Amino acid sequence: MTSPAALRPTGSPLRRFPALVAYVPRACLPGRRLAVLALPCATILASGLLSRALDDTARDAFAQVAGLGIFGLAMPLGTLVIGDAVLGAEVRSGTLGFTWLTPVRFWELALARWLGGWLIALVTLVPCAAVAAVLAGASGLIGPVVVATAAGAAAHIALFVLIGAITRRAAIWSLAIVFVIERLLGAVLSGIAQLSPTWQGRAAFAGLGDLGVLARSGIPEGWDAVVRLGLITVVCLAFATVGLRRLQLTGARD
Amino acid sequence: MTTTEGLDPAFVDDATVVVDDVSVWFGQKVALSELSCSFGPGVTGLLGPNGAGKTTLMRAMCGLIPPRRGHVTVLGHDPRGHRDVQSRVALVPEEDAVPEALTARQLVRYQATLNGVTDADAVERSLAEVSLTDVADRRLGGFSKGMRQRAKVAAALVTDPEVLVLDEPLNGADPVQRVALIELFQALGAAGRTVVVSSHVLHEVERLAARVIVVVHGRLAAAGGHRAIRDAMADRPRRVLLRSDDDRRLATGLLGLDQVVAVELAEAGVTISTGNAGELALALPRLSRQLDVRLREVRALDASLDSVFADLTSR
Repeated sequence: MTSPAALRPTGSPLRRFPALVAYVPRACLPGRRLAVLALPCATILASGLLSRALDDTARDAFAQVAGLGIFGLAMPLGTLVIGDAVLGAEVRSGTLGFTWLTPVRFWELALARWLGGWLIALVTLVPCAAVAAVLAGASGLIGPVVVATAAGAAAHIALFVLIGAITRRAAIWSLAIVFVIERLLGAVLSGIAQLSPTWQGRAAFAGLGDLGVLARSGIPEGWDAVVRLGLITVVCLAFATVGLRRLQLTGARD
Repeated sequence: MTTTEGLDPAFVDDATVVVDDVSVWFGQKVALSELSCSFGPGVTGLLGPNGAGKTTLMRAMCGLIPPRRGHVTVLGHDPRGHRDVQSRVALVPEEDAVPEALTARQLVRYQATLNGVTDADAVERSLAEVSLTDVADRRLGGFSKGMRQRAKVAAALVTDPEVLVLDEPLNGADPVQRVALIELFQALGAAGRTVVVSSHVLHEVERLAARVIVVVHGRLAAAGGHRAIRDAMADRPRRVLLRSDDDRRLATGLLGLDQVVAVELAEAGVTISTGNAGELALALPRLSRQLDVRLREVRALDASLDSVFADLTSR
Protein backbone atom coordinates (compact mmCIF):
# COMPACT_ATOMS: atom_id res chain seq x y z
CA MET A 1 0.00 0.00 0.00
CA THR A 2 0.41 2.87 -1.49
CA SER A 3 -0.64 6.37 -1.57
CA PRO A 4 -4.08 7.39 -0.37
CA ALA A 5 -6.75 6.64 -2.93
CA ALA A 6 -8.86 9.42 -4.37
CA LEU A 7 -12.34 9.23 -2.91
CA ARG A 8 -15.46 9.48 -5.02
CA PRO A 9 -18.03 12.25 -4.42
CA THR A 10 -20.39 11.36 -1.61
CA GLY A 11 -23.42 13.41 -2.55
CA SER A 12 -24.82 16.68 -1.35
CA PRO A 13 -25.75 17.24 2.29
CA LEU A 14 -28.96 18.81 0.97
CA ARG A 15 -29.95 15.43 -0.45
CA ARG A 16 -28.85 13.48 2.62
CA PHE A 17 -30.37 15.71 5.25
CA PRO A 18 -34.08 15.06 4.51
CA ALA A 19 -33.36 11.31 4.55
CA LEU A 20 -31.59 11.66 7.89
CA VAL A 21 -34.52 13.58 9.40
CA ALA A 22 -37.15 11.27 7.90
CA TYR A 23 -35.33 8.27 9.43
CA VAL A 24 -36.16 9.51 12.94
CA PRO A 25 -39.97 9.12 12.95
CA ARG A 26 -39.74 6.05 10.69
CA ALA A 27 -37.12 4.07 12.56
CA CYS A 28 -36.47 5.54 16.01
CA LEU A 29 -39.95 5.52 17.50
CA PRO A 30 -41.42 2.03 17.36
CA GLY A 31 -44.91 1.37 18.70
CA ARG A 32 -43.77 0.66 22.27
CA ARG A 33 -42.00 3.98 22.56
CA LEU A 34 -44.96 5.84 21.10
CA ALA A 35 -47.14 4.18 23.72
CA VAL A 36 -44.78 5.44 26.42
CA LEU A 37 -44.91 8.92 24.86
CA ALA A 38 -48.68 8.83 25.26
CA LEU A 39 -48.25 9.05 29.05
CA PRO A 40 -46.67 12.53 29.17
CA CYS A 41 -49.16 13.65 26.53
CA ALA A 42 -51.98 12.43 28.78
CA THR A 43 -50.35 14.18 31.75
CA ILE A 44 -50.34 17.47 29.84
CA LEU A 45 -54.01 17.10 28.98
CA ALA A 46 -54.81 16.15 32.57
CA SER A 47 -53.05 19.31 33.73
CA GLY A 48 -55.63 21.35 31.85
CA LEU A 49 -58.49 19.50 33.51
CA LEU A 50 -56.88 19.54 36.97
CA SER A 51 -56.48 23.29 36.91
CA ARG A 52 -60.29 23.57 36.93
CA ALA A 53 -60.24 22.06 40.42
CA LEU A 54 -58.22 24.97 41.80
CA ASP A 55 -60.04 27.79 43.50
CA ASP A 56 -58.47 30.55 41.43
CA THR A 57 -58.93 32.35 38.14
CA ALA A 58 -58.65 30.02 35.13
CA ARG A 59 -55.52 31.85 34.02
CA ASP A 60 -53.67 31.61 37.33
CA ALA A 61 -54.91 28.09 38.02
CA PHE A 62 -53.62 26.85 34.65
CA ALA A 63 -50.35 28.72 35.19
CA GLN A 64 -49.76 26.96 38.52
CA VAL A 65 -50.69 23.48 37.25
CA ALA A 66 -48.76 23.95 34.00
CA GLY A 67 -45.68 25.13 35.91
CA LEU A 68 -45.62 21.83 37.79
CA GLY A 69 -47.34 19.35 35.51
CA ILE A 70 -46.30 20.46 32.03
CA PHE A 71 -42.93 22.17 32.46
CA GLY A 72 -41.83 20.35 35.59
CA LEU A 73 -42.88 16.82 34.69
CA ALA A 74 -44.53 16.00 31.37
CA MET A 75 -42.28 18.01 29.07
CA PRO A 76 -38.98 16.71 30.51
CA LEU A 77 -40.26 13.12 30.51
CA GLY A 78 -41.84 13.37 27.07
CA THR A 79 -38.72 14.87 25.55
CA LEU A 80 -36.62 12.27 27.36
CA VAL A 81 -38.62 9.50 25.67
CA ILE A 82 -38.07 11.19 22.30
CA GLY A 83 -34.50 12.39 22.90
CA ASP A 84 -33.30 9.00 24.08
CA ALA A 85 -34.99 7.28 21.12
CA VAL A 86 -33.33 9.43 18.48
CA LEU A 87 -29.75 8.64 19.51
CA GLY A 88 -29.10 6.93 22.86
CA ALA A 89 -31.34 3.94 22.12
CA GLU A 90 -29.69 3.50 18.72
CA VAL A 91 -26.23 3.51 20.30
CA ARG A 92 -27.34 0.89 22.83
CA SER A 93 -29.04 -1.37 20.31
CA GLY A 94 -26.23 -1.13 17.79
CA THR A 95 -28.32 0.30 14.95
CA LEU A 96 -26.54 3.66 14.88
CA GLY A 97 -23.83 1.96 12.81
CA PHE A 98 -26.15 2.05 9.80
CA THR A 99 -25.91 5.85 9.85
CA TRP A 100 -22.47 6.30 11.41
CA LEU A 101 -20.82 4.19 8.70
CA THR A 102 -21.72 6.62 5.95
CA PRO A 103 -20.07 9.83 4.76
CA VAL A 104 -22.61 11.87 6.76
CA ARG A 105 -20.85 14.57 8.76
CA PHE A 106 -21.26 14.39 12.51
CA TRP A 107 -22.87 17.83 12.71
CA GLU A 108 -25.42 16.70 10.12
CA LEU A 109 -26.16 13.62 12.16
CA ALA A 110 -26.58 15.54 15.43
CA LEU A 111 -28.69 18.24 13.80
CA ALA A 112 -30.90 15.79 11.91
CA ARG A 113 -31.53 13.62 14.96
CA TRP A 114 -32.42 16.70 17.02
CA LEU A 115 -34.66 18.13 14.29
CA GLY A 116 -36.44 14.81 13.79
CA GLY A 117 -37.02 14.54 17.53
CA TRP A 118 -38.17 18.13 17.82
CA LEU A 119 -40.65 17.67 14.97
CA ILE A 120 -42.10 14.71 16.86
CA ALA A 121 -42.43 16.88 19.97
CA LEU A 122 -44.09 19.59 17.89
CA VAL A 123 -46.82 17.19 16.76
CA THR A 124 -47.31 15.44 20.10
CA LEU A 125 -46.40 17.43 23.22
CA VAL A 126 -47.01 20.95 21.88
CA PRO A 127 -50.57 20.41 20.58
CA CYS A 128 -51.42 18.70 23.87
CA ALA A 129 -50.22 21.80 25.72
CA ALA A 130 -52.47 23.97 23.56
CA VAL A 131 -55.44 21.68 24.17
CA ALA A 132 -54.67 21.72 27.91
CA ALA A 133 -54.96 25.53 27.92
CA VAL A 134 -58.34 25.23 26.22
CA LEU A 135 -59.49 22.56 28.67
CA ALA A 136 -58.42 24.81 31.53
CA GLY A 137 -60.52 27.64 30.15
CA ALA A 138 -57.40 29.75 29.64
CA SER A 139 -57.47 30.16 25.88
CA GLY A 140 -55.46 33.36 26.22
CA LEU A 141 -52.47 31.29 27.30
CA ILE A 142 -52.42 29.07 24.21
CA GLY A 143 -49.73 31.18 22.52
CA PRO A 144 -47.40 31.37 25.54
CA VAL A 145 -47.75 27.69 26.42
CA VAL A 146 -47.16 26.63 22.79
CA VAL A 147 -44.05 28.80 22.37
CA ALA A 148 -42.64 27.85 25.78
CA THR A 149 -43.29 24.12 25.27
CA ALA A 150 -41.79 24.16 21.78
CA ALA A 151 -38.68 26.06 22.91
CA GLY A 152 -38.30 23.95 26.05
CA ALA A 153 -38.69 20.75 24.04
CA ALA A 154 -36.04 21.93 21.57
CA ALA A 155 -33.50 22.49 24.35
CA HIS A 156 -34.39 19.31 26.19
CA ILE A 157 -34.10 17.11 23.11
CA ALA A 158 -30.74 18.70 22.25
CA LEU A 159 -29.60 17.92 25.81
CA PHE A 160 -30.70 14.29 25.49
CA VAL A 161 -29.05 13.99 22.06
CA LEU A 162 -25.84 15.21 23.71
CA ILE A 163 -26.18 12.66 26.50
CA GLY A 164 -26.81 9.91 23.93
CA ALA A 165 -23.64 10.90 22.09
CA ILE A 166 -21.37 10.74 25.12
CA THR A 167 -22.63 7.85 27.23
CA ARG A 168 -24.09 4.42 26.64
CA ARG A 169 -26.42 4.72 29.65
CA ALA A 170 -28.19 7.69 28.17
CA ALA A 171 -31.64 6.99 29.66
CA ILE A 172 -30.30 6.73 33.22
CA TRP A 173 -28.14 9.84 32.91
CA SER A 174 -31.01 11.75 31.35
CA LEU A 175 -33.33 10.84 34.24
CA ALA A 176 -30.65 11.82 36.74
CA ILE A 177 -30.14 15.19 35.06
CA VAL A 178 -33.88 15.92 34.92
CA PHE A 179 -34.69 14.95 38.49
CA VAL A 180 -31.50 15.55 40.44
CA ILE A 181 -29.88 18.47 38.66
CA GLU A 182 -32.84 20.28 37.11
CA ARG A 183 -35.65 19.59 39.58
CA LEU A 184 -33.71 19.39 42.83
CA LEU A 185 -30.68 21.61 42.44
CA GLY A 186 -32.35 23.91 39.91
CA ALA A 187 -35.12 24.61 42.43
CA VAL A 188 -32.68 26.19 44.88
CA LEU A 189 -29.78 27.36 42.71
CA SER A 190 -30.70 29.95 40.12
CA GLY A 191 -27.35 29.43 38.39
CA ILE A 192 -28.48 25.92 37.45
CA ALA A 193 -32.01 27.09 36.68
CA GLN A 194 -30.57 29.52 34.13
CA LEU A 195 -29.12 26.56 32.20
CA SER A 196 -32.07 24.24 32.76
CA PRO A 197 -34.55 23.68 29.93
CA THR A 198 -37.17 22.83 32.56
CA TRP A 199 -36.84 26.14 34.41
CA GLN A 200 -36.23 28.21 31.30
CA GLY A 201 -39.31 26.74 29.64
CA ARG A 202 -41.33 27.62 32.70
CA ALA A 203 -39.84 31.13 32.75
CA ALA A 204 -40.62 31.59 29.05
CA PHE A 205 -44.24 30.65 29.77
CA ALA A 206 -44.39 32.97 32.78
CA GLY A 207 -42.95 35.93 30.88
CA LEU A 208 -44.91 35.48 27.66
CA GLY A 209 -48.16 34.97 29.57
CA ASP A 210 -47.37 37.74 32.09
CA LEU A 211 -47.99 35.26 34.89
CA GLY A 212 -46.81 36.67 38.18
CA VAL A 213 -47.59 33.43 40.03
CA LEU A 214 -44.73 31.71 38.16
CA ALA A 215 -42.24 34.56 38.45
CA ARG A 216 -38.81 33.59 39.71
CA SER A 217 -36.08 36.09 40.31
CA GLY A 218 -32.61 35.57 38.90
CA ILE A 219 -33.50 33.93 35.59
CA PRO A 220 -34.56 35.52 32.29
CA GLU A 221 -38.26 35.36 31.36
CA GLY A 222 -40.40 35.58 28.24
CA TRP A 223 -38.55 35.97 24.94
CA ASP A 224 -35.26 36.28 26.81
CA ALA A 225 -35.85 32.78 28.13
CA VAL A 226 -36.74 31.56 24.61
CA VAL A 227 -33.42 32.97 23.36
CA ARG A 228 -31.66 31.27 26.29
CA LEU A 229 -33.31 27.98 25.32
CA GLY A 230 -32.10 28.47 21.76
CA LEU A 231 -28.57 28.98 23.00
CA ILE A 232 -28.76 25.88 25.16
CA THR A 233 -29.92 23.96 22.05
CA VAL A 234 -27.03 25.20 19.92
CA VAL A 235 -24.40 24.51 22.59
CA CYS A 236 -25.75 21.02 23.28
CA LEU A 237 -25.73 20.17 19.56
CA ALA A 238 -22.17 21.47 19.21
CA PHE A 239 -21.01 19.22 22.04
CA ALA A 240 -23.07 16.34 20.64
CA THR A 241 -21.15 16.70 17.38
CA VAL A 242 -17.89 16.34 19.29
CA GLY A 243 -19.36 13.39 21.20
CA LEU A 244 -20.32 11.62 17.97
CA ARG A 245 -16.82 12.13 16.60
CA ARG A 246 -15.40 10.36 19.66
CA LEU A 247 -18.09 7.72 19.93
CA GLN A 248 -17.00 4.09 20.11
CA LEU A 249 -19.61 1.82 18.59
CA THR A 250 -18.64 -1.43 20.21
CA GLY A 251 -21.95 -3.12 19.46
CA ALA A 252 -24.98 -4.09 21.47
CA ARG A 253 -23.32 -7.10 23.15
CA ASP A 254 -20.38 -5.24 24.65
CA MET B 1 -4.55 -10.59 -4.14
CA THR B 2 -0.88 -11.41 -3.88
CA THR B 3 0.77 -12.18 -0.62
CA THR B 4 4.07 -10.52 -0.01
CA GLU B 5 6.49 -13.08 -1.42
CA GLY B 6 8.97 -14.41 1.05
CA LEU B 7 7.63 -12.22 3.77
CA ASP B 8 4.99 -12.60 6.45
CA PRO B 9 1.84 -14.22 5.00
CA ALA B 10 -0.22 -11.85 7.15
CA PHE B 11 0.54 -9.12 4.62
CA VAL B 12 -0.33 -8.61 0.98
CA ASP B 13 1.35 -6.47 -1.66
CA ASP B 14 -1.71 -4.69 -2.95
CA ALA B 15 -3.26 -3.87 0.41
CA THR B 16 -6.38 -1.77 0.64
CA VAL B 17 -6.72 -2.19 4.41
CA VAL B 18 -3.66 -2.06 6.62
CA VAL B 19 -3.78 -2.93 10.31
CA ASP B 20 -0.56 -1.76 11.88
CA ASP B 21 0.35 -2.86 15.40
CA VAL B 22 -3.21 -2.31 16.60
CA SER B 23 -4.20 -2.75 20.23
CA VAL B 24 -7.70 -2.21 21.57
CA TRP B 25 -8.82 -2.69 25.12
CA PHE B 26 -11.99 -2.03 27.06
CA GLY B 27 -11.22 -1.41 30.69
CA GLN B 28 -9.23 -4.42 31.88
CA LYS B 29 -10.16 -6.54 28.88
CA VAL B 30 -7.68 -6.63 26.01
CA ALA B 31 -9.61 -7.23 22.77
CA LEU B 32 -6.73 -6.82 20.30
CA SER B 33 -3.05 -6.93 21.12
CA GLU B 34 -0.35 -5.58 18.79
CA LEU B 35 -2.06 -7.08 15.77
CA SER B 36 -0.64 -6.37 12.33
CA CYS B 37 -1.93 -7.66 9.02
CA SER B 38 -3.29 -6.37 5.76
CA PHE B 39 -6.08 -7.14 3.35
CA GLY B 40 -6.23 -6.74 -0.39
CA PRO B 41 -8.56 -7.48 -3.31
CA GLY B 42 -10.16 -10.92 -3.11
CA VAL B 43 -11.82 -12.76 -0.26
CA THR B 44 -9.93 -13.10 3.01
CA GLY B 45 -11.31 -15.22 5.82
CA LEU B 46 -10.96 -14.00 9.38
CA LEU B 47 -11.05 -17.07 11.57
CA GLY B 48 -11.09 -17.37 15.33
CA PRO B 49 -13.11 -18.75 18.20
CA ASN B 50 -15.86 -16.72 19.83
CA GLY B 51 -14.37 -13.83 21.78
CA ALA B 52 -11.10 -13.93 19.84
CA GLY B 53 -11.34 -10.30 18.76
CA LYS B 54 -12.63 -10.74 15.20
CA THR B 55 -15.54 -8.35 15.67
CA THR B 56 -13.35 -5.76 17.36
CA LEU B 57 -10.84 -6.00 14.51
CA MET B 58 -13.58 -5.57 11.93
CA ARG B 59 -15.05 -2.62 13.78
CA ALA B 60 -11.62 -1.03 14.05
CA MET B 61 -11.11 -1.59 10.32
CA CYS B 62 -14.30 0.34 9.61
CA GLY B 63 -13.57 3.10 12.10
CA LEU B 64 -16.30 2.24 14.59
CA ILE B 65 -13.68 1.67 17.29
CA PRO B 66 -10.51 3.76 17.51
CA PRO B 67 -7.35 1.73 18.18
CA ARG B 68 -5.81 2.58 21.56
CA ARG B 69 -2.45 1.94 19.96
CA GLY B 70 -1.39 1.50 16.33
CA HIS B 71 -3.15 2.57 13.16
CA VAL B 72 -5.71 1.35 10.68
CA THR B 73 -5.76 2.74 7.16
CA VAL B 74 -8.41 2.03 4.56
CA LEU B 75 -7.49 3.01 1.00
CA GLY B 76 -4.72 5.05 2.54
CA HIS B 77 -6.97 7.04 4.89
CA ASP B 78 -7.85 6.86 8.56
CA PRO B 79 -11.45 5.59 8.55
CA ARG B 80 -12.33 7.63 11.65
CA GLY B 81 -10.76 10.86 10.53
CA HIS B 82 -11.85 10.84 6.91
CA ARG B 83 -15.62 10.58 6.61
CA ASP B 84 -15.60 10.19 2.82
CA VAL B 85 -13.82 6.82 3.21
CA GLN B 86 -17.09 5.51 4.61
CA SER B 87 -18.67 5.66 1.15
CA ARG B 88 -16.18 3.01 -0.01
CA VAL B 89 -16.33 0.74 3.02
CA ALA B 90 -19.31 -1.31 4.13
CA LEU B 91 -19.75 -3.42 7.24
CA VAL B 92 -22.30 -6.15 7.72
CA PRO B 93 -22.36 -6.49 11.51
CA GLU B 94 -22.94 -9.82 13.17
CA GLU B 95 -25.38 -8.57 15.76
CA ASP B 96 -29.03 -8.98 15.03
CA ALA B 97 -29.91 -5.32 15.57
CA VAL B 98 -31.69 -3.65 12.67
CA PRO B 99 -34.08 -0.69 12.59
CA GLU B 100 -37.08 -2.95 13.03
CA ALA B 101 -39.69 -0.44 11.94
CA LEU B 102 -38.09 -0.01 8.52
CA THR B 103 -38.77 -2.24 5.56
CA ALA B 104 -35.84 -3.87 3.78
CA ARG B 105 -36.32 -1.51 0.85
CA GLN B 106 -36.34 1.55 3.14
CA LEU B 107 -33.10 0.44 4.82
CA VAL B 108 -31.34 -0.12 1.50
CA ARG B 109 -32.66 3.16 0.08
CA TYR B 110 -31.54 4.99 3.24
CA GLN B 111 -28.02 3.67 2.77
CA ALA B 112 -28.06 4.58 -0.92
CA THR B 113 -29.17 8.15 -0.20
CA LEU B 114 -26.66 8.75 2.60
CA ASN B 115 -23.83 7.42 0.45
CA GLY B 116 -24.74 9.56 -2.55
CA VAL B 117 -25.63 6.63 -4.80
CA THR B 118 -27.09 8.09 -7.98
CA ASP B 119 -27.87 4.88 -9.84
CA ALA B 120 -31.66 4.64 -9.70
CA ASP B 121 -31.64 0.85 -10.07
CA ALA B 122 -29.06 0.20 -7.38
CA VAL B 123 -31.61 -0.43 -4.61
CA GLU B 124 -33.59 -3.01 -6.57
CA ARG B 125 -30.42 -4.66 -7.83
CA SER B 126 -29.03 -5.05 -4.31
CA LEU B 127 -32.28 -6.51 -3.03
CA ALA B 128 -32.35 -8.93 -5.96
CA GLU B 129 -28.76 -10.02 -5.32
CA VAL B 130 -29.75 -11.34 -1.90
CA SER B 131 -33.15 -12.64 -3.08
CA LEU B 132 -35.18 -10.24 -0.96
CA THR B 133 -37.16 -8.52 -3.71
CA ASP B 134 -40.38 -10.36 -2.88
CA VAL B 135 -40.31 -9.36 0.79
CA ALA B 136 -38.65 -5.97 0.39
CA ASP B 137 -41.70 -4.11 1.68
CA ARG B 138 -41.98 -6.15 4.86
CA ARG B 139 -40.68 -4.66 8.07
CA LEU B 140 -37.30 -5.90 9.24
CA GLY B 141 -38.79 -6.61 12.68
CA GLY B 142 -40.71 -9.51 11.14
CA PHE B 143 -37.66 -10.98 9.40
CA SER B 144 -35.85 -14.12 10.49
CA LYS B 145 -32.19 -13.85 11.47
CA GLY B 146 -31.09 -15.05 8.05
CA MET B 147 -33.34 -12.57 6.25
CA ARG B 148 -32.07 -9.72 8.41
CA GLN B 149 -28.55 -10.73 7.60
CA ARG B 150 -29.35 -10.64 3.90
CA ALA B 151 -31.03 -7.24 4.26
CA LYS B 152 -27.83 -5.95 5.87
CA VAL B 153 -25.82 -7.42 3.01
CA ALA B 154 -28.11 -5.66 0.51
CA ALA B 155 -27.68 -2.38 2.42
CA ALA B 156 -23.92 -2.86 2.19
CA LEU B 157 -23.91 -3.79 -1.50
CA VAL B 158 -26.00 -0.82 -2.61
CA THR B 159 -23.05 1.51 -2.09
CA ASP B 160 -20.85 -0.64 -4.36
CA PRO B 161 -18.12 -0.67 -1.70
CA GLU B 162 -14.48 -1.22 -2.49
CA VAL B 163 -13.97 -2.81 0.92
CA LEU B 164 -16.69 -5.11 2.24
CA VAL B 165 -16.38 -6.34 5.82
CA LEU B 166 -18.74 -9.15 6.76
CA ASP B 167 -18.99 -10.33 10.35
CA GLU B 168 -20.34 -13.89 10.41
CA PRO B 169 -22.61 -13.16 7.41
CA LEU B 170 -23.81 -16.75 7.05
CA ASN B 171 -25.30 -16.94 10.53
CA GLY B 172 -28.94 -17.94 10.34
CA ALA B 173 -28.86 -18.53 6.59
CA ASP B 174 -30.35 -21.78 5.31
CA PRO B 175 -28.17 -24.07 3.13
CA VAL B 176 -29.47 -22.67 -0.16
CA GLN B 177 -28.91 -19.08 0.98
CA ARG B 178 -25.45 -20.01 2.22
CA VAL B 179 -24.43 -21.25 -1.18
CA ALA B 180 -25.86 -18.15 -2.87
CA LEU B 181 -24.14 -15.78 -0.42
CA ILE B 182 -20.82 -17.60 -0.72
CA GLU B 183 -21.02 -17.34 -4.52
CA LEU B 184 -21.90 -13.65 -4.21
CA PHE B 185 -18.94 -12.89 -1.94
CA GLN B 186 -16.60 -14.86 -4.18
CA ALA B 187 -17.85 -12.97 -7.24
CA LEU B 188 -17.22 -9.67 -5.45
CA GLY B 189 -13.72 -10.81 -4.56
CA ALA B 190 -13.06 -11.93 -8.12
CA ALA B 191 -14.22 -8.51 -9.31
CA GLY B 192 -11.41 -6.90 -7.36
CA ARG B 193 -13.26 -5.94 -4.20
CA THR B 194 -11.61 -6.44 -0.84
CA VAL B 195 -13.92 -8.83 0.97
CA VAL B 196 -13.17 -9.76 4.59
CA VAL B 197 -15.40 -12.47 6.03
CA SER B 198 -15.25 -13.62 9.62
CA SER B 199 -16.34 -16.98 10.92
CA HIS B 200 -15.58 -19.39 13.71
CA VAL B 201 -16.27 -22.32 11.39
CA LEU B 202 -13.17 -23.47 9.56
CA HIS B 203 -14.82 -25.31 6.69
CA GLU B 204 -17.05 -22.31 6.01
CA VAL B 205 -14.02 -20.07 5.65
CA GLU B 206 -12.34 -22.69 3.47
CA ARG B 207 -15.22 -22.54 1.02
CA LEU B 208 -15.17 -18.76 0.97
CA ALA B 209 -11.61 -17.61 1.08
CA ALA B 210 -8.28 -18.57 -0.40
CA ARG B 211 -6.46 -16.64 2.30
CA VAL B 212 -7.11 -16.90 6.00
CA ILE B 213 -6.11 -14.77 8.98
CA VAL B 214 -6.48 -16.58 12.31
CA VAL B 215 -6.99 -14.44 15.41
CA VAL B 216 -6.94 -15.90 18.91
CA HIS B 217 -7.04 -13.96 22.17
CA GLY B 218 -6.72 -10.72 20.22
CA ARG B 219 -3.45 -11.79 18.61
CA LEU B 220 -2.54 -12.97 15.15
CA ALA B 221 -2.23 -16.75 15.46
CA ALA B 222 -1.68 -17.77 11.86
CA ALA B 223 -2.05 -16.48 8.34
CA GLY B 224 -1.87 -17.86 4.84
CA GLY B 225 -3.72 -20.25 2.57
CA HIS B 226 -6.35 -22.41 4.21
CA ARG B 227 -4.38 -25.55 3.36
CA ALA B 228 -1.49 -24.30 5.44
CA ILE B 229 -3.86 -23.42 8.28
CA ARG B 230 -5.50 -26.83 8.17
CA ASP B 231 -2.15 -28.62 7.99
CA ALA B 232 -1.08 -26.68 11.05
CA MET B 233 -4.21 -27.85 12.81
CA ALA B 234 -4.16 -31.45 11.60
CA ASP B 235 -0.95 -32.67 13.24
CA ARG B 236 -1.94 -31.58 16.71
CA PRO B 237 -2.68 -34.29 19.31
CA ARG B 238 -6.37 -34.95 19.81
CA ARG B 239 -8.30 -36.62 22.58
CA VAL B 240 -10.94 -39.20 21.78
CA LEU B 241 -13.41 -40.91 24.07
CA LEU B 242 -14.20 -44.57 23.31
CA ARG B 243 -16.96 -46.60 24.94
CA SER B 244 -17.35 -50.32 24.37
CA ASP B 245 -18.79 -53.43 25.97
CA ASP B 246 -15.32 -54.20 27.47
CA ASP B 247 -13.41 -50.98 28.10
CA ARG B 248 -10.58 -52.65 30.01
CA ARG B 249 -9.80 -55.04 27.19
CA LEU B 250 -10.05 -52.26 24.64
CA ALA B 251 -7.64 -50.08 26.64
CA THR B 252 -5.09 -52.85 26.70
CA GLY B 253 -5.37 -53.31 22.94
CA LEU B 254 -5.10 -49.57 22.30
CA LEU B 255 -1.74 -49.45 24.06
CA GLY B 256 -0.33 -51.47 21.18
CA LEU B 257 -1.38 -48.99 18.48
CA ASP B 258 1.30 -46.66 17.10
CA GLN B 259 -1.24 -43.86 16.63
CA VAL B 260 -2.10 -43.76 20.33
CA VAL B 261 0.02 -41.52 22.53
CA ALA B 262 -1.77 -42.07 25.87
CA VAL B 263 -4.59 -44.17 27.24
CA GLU B 264 -6.72 -43.39 30.27
CA LEU B 265 -9.32 -45.82 31.59
CA ALA B 266 -12.20 -44.28 33.50
CA GLU B 267 -15.79 -45.05 34.37
CA ALA B 268 -17.06 -43.01 31.40
CA GLY B 269 -14.93 -45.03 28.97
CA VAL B 270 -11.44 -45.02 27.53
CA THR B 271 -9.88 -41.65 26.77
CA ILE B 272 -6.97 -41.70 24.35
CA SER B 273 -4.64 -39.09 22.91
CA THR B 274 -3.63 -39.51 19.30
CA GLY B 275 -1.23 -37.70 17.05
CA ASN B 276 -2.90 -38.99 13.92
CA ALA B 277 -6.67 -39.05 14.03
CA GLY B 278 -6.99 -40.16 10.42
CA GLU B 279 -4.97 -43.37 10.84
CA LEU B 280 -6.64 -44.06 14.18
CA ALA B 281 -10.02 -44.00 12.46
CA LEU B 282 -8.82 -46.82 10.19
CA ALA B 283 -7.11 -48.80 12.94
CA LEU B 284 -9.96 -48.77 15.43
CA PRO B 285 -12.40 -51.06 13.56
CA ARG B 286 -9.57 -53.57 12.94
CA LEU B 287 -8.64 -53.57 16.61
CA SER B 288 -12.27 -53.94 17.60
CA ARG B 289 -12.61 -57.06 15.44
CA GLN B 290 -9.32 -58.51 16.67
CA LEU B 291 -10.29 -58.08 20.33
CA ASP B 292 -13.93 -59.03 19.70
CA VAL B 293 -14.98 -55.84 21.46
CA ARG B 294 -18.07 -53.96 20.37
CA LEU B 295 -17.53 -50.17 20.06
CA ARG B 296 -20.51 -48.19 21.31
CA GLU B 297 -19.23 -44.64 21.00
CA VAL B 298 -16.29 -42.85 19.43
CA ARG B 299 -16.30 -39.14 20.23
CA ALA B 300 -13.68 -36.43 19.75
CA LEU B 301 -13.38 -34.56 23.03
CA ASP B 302 -11.63 -31.49 21.71
CA ALA B 303 -12.99 -31.14 18.22
CA SER B 304 -14.16 -27.62 18.89
CA LEU B 305 -12.26 -24.86 17.17
CA ASP B 306 -11.47 -23.30 20.52
CA SER B 307 -9.13 -26.13 21.36
CA VAL B 308 -7.63 -26.10 17.90
CA PHE B 309 -7.01 -22.38 18.16
CA ALA B 310 -5.63 -22.79 21.65
CA ASP B 311 -3.20 -25.32 20.28
CA LEU B 312 -2.19 -23.03 17.44
CA THR B 313 -1.49 -20.17 19.80
CA SER B 314 0.48 -22.29 22.23
CA ARG B 315 3.12 -23.00 19.57
